[in-house]
Formats: sequence, C-alpha cells, structure tokens
Amino acid sequence: MPEEEKKRTQSFLEKLKEKALNQQNYGGDGTFEEARMEVRDCPNCGAGRAYRDGLTACAYCGFSFMDIKLTDGIHIKKSNNS
Amino acid sequence: MSQNQLLEPIHGISLEDYSAACAKLGNGMDEQAVAGALGVELPVWQEASLLWAERMKQDSTFEVITLFGQYFGQADQHPKFSNATAGASGGGGYTAQIKADRAFYEELEVARNVAYEYGLDGAQWIVEKYGIALGDFQIAASQWNAEIHADLQADFEGYSQRQEAYRAKYQQLFASAQGGNVADDITF
Amino acid sequence: MEEILKQTQERWFVFLEKLEARMEEMCTAAIPELKKVFEEDQDPFKRAHGRMLSGLLGQLRQMREKADEVREEKIIGTMYSVGDIAYDFREACYDRHNEFEEKLQRYTELLEETAERRDLEAFYQEQLAAFEAIRDKFTCKQCGGKITISKMFFIATYMTCSYCQTQNTFLPSTGAQLVLHQARSLAEQRTAHLQKAYEDGYPNDPLLYKQYLRAMFDEWNKIVPDMAAENEKFYLRLLKDNNIEHP
Repeated sequence: MPEEEKKRTQSFLEKLKEKALNQQNYGGDGTFEEARMEVRDCPNCGAGRAYRDGLTACAYCGFSFMDIKLTDGIHIKKSNNS
Repeated sequence: MSQNQLLEPIHGISLEDYSAACAKLGNGMDEQAVAGALGVELPVWQEASLLWAERMKQDSTFEVITLFGQYFGQADQHPKFSNATAGASGGGGYTAQIKADRAFYEELEVARNVAYEYGLDGAQWIVEKYGIALGDFQIAASQWNAEIHADLQADFEGYSQRQEAYRAKYQQLFASAQGGNVADDITF
Repeated sequence: MEEILKQTQERWFVFLEKLEARMEEMCTAAIPELKKVFEEDQDPFKRAHGRMLSGLLGQLRQMREKADEVREEKIIGTMYSVGDIAYDFREACYDRHNEFEEKLQRYTELLEETAERRDLEAFYQEQLAAFEAIRDKFTCKQCGGKITISKMFFIATYMTCSYCQTQNTFLPSTGAQLVLHQARSLAEQRTAHLQKAYEDGYPNDPLLYKQYLRAMFDEWNKIVPDMAAENEKFYLRLLKDNNIEHP
C-alpha cells in the first residue's frame, strides 16, 4: 500500500511539472532583449529630426510625427513640442 | 469638466485612451502597435503609461481608478482602436457571448481560477479553449462588476451556491485530466 | 453514546494523520523540484514556476476542503446528535484539526519560499554592471557619432546626438525595464528590518512607521532616481492615508 501511495504522488508531481514546463505562456514567451538605438527620419521628405525643432513635426516639410501636444513628463517636456 | 487635476491628459493621452490601450495590451496587442494607434511614438506612450499608473497611486479620492475601470470596459468603443485586430481573441462567438451573457462570464471566471489551482495558466486556458483573450475577459469583468456586486448584496446565498456548483464542476474536470487529486484515496 | 464518540474521534485522528502524511510526502518531493524549475525557468516572470507552485497549493487547498467537509458532516454532525456530553470530544477534535491546519500552513509557506528567496539585489547589481558595459557602445543612427548614455534608463527615451543634434530613440534592455518594476520590492527588502521594528511594536508606533516609510522611499528613489518626483507624491498620499503629519 505505501508503495502504491508513493507512486500516486510521484506520478502527480511528474505530470504537474511537465504541464508547468510545457504550457505556453500567455502572450508568448518573454525574452530578455538587449538595449538598442533607433532613429525615425521624416517618412515624407527624408529629413532627420533635430533636437531644436522638437519631436512632433518635421521642420522641413511640416509632416506630423505625432498628432498630440506633449506635456511635462519624466524625460519629455512641453518644450519638445515642435 | 472635473476639477481633478489628475485627470488631465498626459502628452495628449487621455485616461480614456490609456484605459482602452491597457485592454488592448491585455489582448496581446504589442506596445508599438498601441503607441501607433494612439498616434504617438514608443517613448511618449511609455512615459504616459507610467505616469497614469502613478496618478492612480497618488489619487486618494479613487476617482482616477474608478474611471479607469469604466473606460476599460468601454475599450471596444474607443475610436482610436476601432481598426485594431482582435489580438489574441479569435473574434469568435465566445468573445461576444462573455460580454452579453452574465452566467457565461461567471462560470468562466470560476473555471479560470480553478485552472490555476491545477497548475494551468488560467488566462492561456481560456484562450485555448474559448478563444477569449485576457483583455476581452477583463473588459467583460468590468462590465459585469457592478451587477454582480448588487446581486451579492441582494442574494448572497444564491450567488454562493452558483459559484460552488461551478467550482465543483471544474475541479472535477481538471482533476480527472491529471489523473485525480493526490489525496483522493483518503477517506474518513 | 460514549462508544460512538470514541470511535468517531479515533477515525477523525486517523483520517487527518493520513492527510498529513500525504501532504508531507508531496511537499518533500516537490520542493527540490520546484527550486530546480525556478532556477531553470527562462521566463522573466518565472511563470513555469508560478504554475507548478499554484498546482501544488491547489492540492493543499483540496486537502483542506476535504478535512473541512468531514468536520462539518461527521464531527459537528455527531456533536449535534449527542448533545451536551460532547464537550471533551469537541475539544479534542478541534485541537487536532488546528494542528492539521498549522501543518498545512507551514507547508504552504515552505512551497512559497521556493520563489521568495529570489535575490532582487543581485539581479539589480547585474543590471547595473550590464549597463556600465554597454553605455558607451552606441552610435547615432544618423551620423554615426558616438552617443554615451548619461544614466541608466528604464523606459524608451529620446537621446540627442551631440554632433548632428538628431533625436535617436534609446530602448533599454528587458533587464533594465524589469528593474523599474522590481524597484519597490527591492527597496522593501533593503528596509525590511525597519518595517519589522514597526510591526513588532505593541501598540504600533506611528513614528516607527514613518521612519520605515521614509527609508523605503529613499532606497526606492536611489534605485530609480527619475521616478523620485512621482514617488514623493505617492509618499505624501500614504502619510495622509495613515493620518501622519508632514513633515
């Protein structure tokens, strides 16, 4: 009898472990990504976006990068509006 | 307009925008796509999102968090996300049903919790079995919350009995799928 | 009558002993496995471990419900049927049940500890070192000029090239982003002794709470200085909620 009980617990644990390891994580696997740098040129005229011209619009052709009004946040400030 | 300063938009992103975005993130939409739908770039979205969460922490009147729940439940009607794809939801009948049929929502809410007790990711189980993504599930939750709360006060007994019956049903389902519970053979 | 009580009590004791033995067997075998899964889980949120832990807690809960059910039906049922003479019986059966509950609680804690031993400090130090190693390895995507990252960022941030003034976007590593989410827990770990000093006091001394809270927020701000202004607003709210005057 005790042997049988052991088997019962063992088989439960094995199944549980397998289930825990093999079930897909909701939203897919999280991965550790490295830091990286990106840039966004104006898709309309190809010009770069310079700091003095603000973040929201292209200084050359007026293209709107973002159709909102920036407020004072953590790193981004009101003064970053074009 | 409310006097609460904490309800002012952050970088042009309103509480309605933020709440709907959270629902869509829960449905598996990625952050870049959410930022795109709101017409901003990732750094702007991430700051606004961080700061909205801060505002909820700072607001001792609970107005921000209450409205968040309300807007979250209305995410499907938000114009900026009307073109968003269904995300992880299959978009099938169950996603509509959980928002229209309260008993169905109540049953799946119990099922989801019992799934966790049997070593399954409940949110993932709901997606696999019914094609309902977590965001849609939470939208349904915030839609039904007030009604369930009222019902609890009016008929606590009836509500508990329904919950118990659902619990028993899913305990049995998940237990038999794993070959029973560890202590099933122990009786009085 | 006496005989029924004696038999019921004996059966109750044996029943709980069996449940306890099974509980012990399951947890003793599970804990090393659980630790292994935690260590090997590649997911940033350790979700495989979370699922396995929750499955085990589910079985403990199932055992508790089983005992509760029998207590309701057999023990309380018997007490009602025999009336006043059941005093000793009740005491003995309830004491034994409490003992069972205590064991169950201890095993719950042991299972949960397989995750709590997570060393947030070590993870944070790793991330600091990783940042030091990469901070001067970036170049402007426009002109190729070197961009040194001035400090550790935890969210995506615009970065201006000092040569051509172009706005680049810096996306921190997943590890750095996690630091932001773990910052409060880490600050709490660092100031746990102060929290304990407050909680151990009887009656609780609000001054000790304030001391703890201030120290915890100081640590929190040290980990994520960019959030200090926002954290301070949250700090004031907590003081207000606890009716503590400021300053």
